[in-house]
Amino acid sequence: MHPPDELDEYLRGDSALSCQYRREAAPVPPPALDRRVLELSRAAHELPAASGARAAPARSPYLAPLAFAASVLLSVALVLAIAFGPQTAKRVDDAPRVVRVAYSSSDPRTVRAPKAWLADIAALRRAGRNREADEELRRFRSTYPGLSISDPAIRP
Amino acid sequence: MESVDEDARLMLRYRDGDTDAFSALYARHKGPLYRYLLRQVRNAGSAADLFQDVWSRLVANRGRYQARAKFATYLFHIAHNCTMDFFRRDLRLPRAARTDDVYAQAPEPEVPEYQRPDVLAEFAEQQSALLAAVSALPHEQREAFLLHEETGLTIEEIARVTDVGIETAKSRLRYAIRKLKTSLASAQFPAVMPLRTRRHLKAAQFNAST
Repeated sequence: MHPPDELDEYLRGDSALSCQYRREAAPVPPPALDRRVLELSRAAHELPAASGARAAPARSPYLAPLAFAASVLLSVALVLAIAFGPQTAKRVDDAPRVVRVAYSSSDPRTVRAPKAWLADIAALRRAGRNREADEELRRFRSTYPGLSISDPAIRP
Repeated sequence: MESVDEDARLMLRYRDGDTDAFSALYARHKGPLYRYLLRQVRNAGSAADLFQDVWSRLVANRGRYQARAKFATYLFHIAHNCTMDFFRRDLRLPRAARTDDVYAQAPEPEVPEYQRPDVLAEFAEQQSALLAAVSALPHEQREAFLLHEETGLTIEEIARVTDVGIETAKSRLRYAIRKLKTSLASAQFPAVMPLRTRRHLKAAQFNAST
């Protein structure tokens, strides 16, 4: 199909086509472009070695496993924080206070300290348990008739 | 070739911090690279942008350079990648236009506005008949021809630069030569007669694509 020597003749470099091409005008990049490229090449070497291209092959082979281990550690810490974090502790902390009120109110012989008692009444009001709070307040006033209650969160 | 080793040595010296070595390397290759890009994209502004891009990539990747092959192969492989990025980004080559191994199925790619036929005709008016015919080649064939003419790369090296098989590279170059010869012969131009009119460009394009 093709003459066998057409390409070979051309590749030898002495074909009429090559000679003609070499006679053509040979444009070169404008001087401004030369300057930009040469400045670029110099600027690259003025950068610190650590940020240069030579730093890339020096990357530690342990970097990837270390990053993976750090991710696993963080995930475990996050799960533990969710399971045993401050929100759970608060819920545990709130429950005995209500129980304590119930216990103290069921035992008439127990005389409670006024400050803790008023705090429990305030907690009952915050929880919306106003009937129990009123009952506790009535008992408090009968126990400590001379003590005035200034906190609006305790009064009905 | 002694300049092969010399180019590689210059690049290794530049990699190790010798900026004068880069200047020497640049002086050797700037002309062929610029003409390769200019005649590939056929637009001086885009060629200048790509030219800077190629050298920027070379500089950025200097730390990974190893003198395993001819330096021109390394440089023009970067240039090939930049050009392909350019075509993908700006020219949106249809897939069919890039398979040029079938002689009859090598239409010119769709081009954006700045490379419309009339703009190309204006570009070609400043060229000789040969350069106009080169400009009218499908870009893979044009690339193979330019790589050989501008850098003296062998078929194997052209294949490596353009990421194709040796037979494909050989086929591209063969078709390029045949089309150029046919274009010049059928137009009956003297060897260096300037192509002055748009009609001549159309004739060259028609001959190249049939």
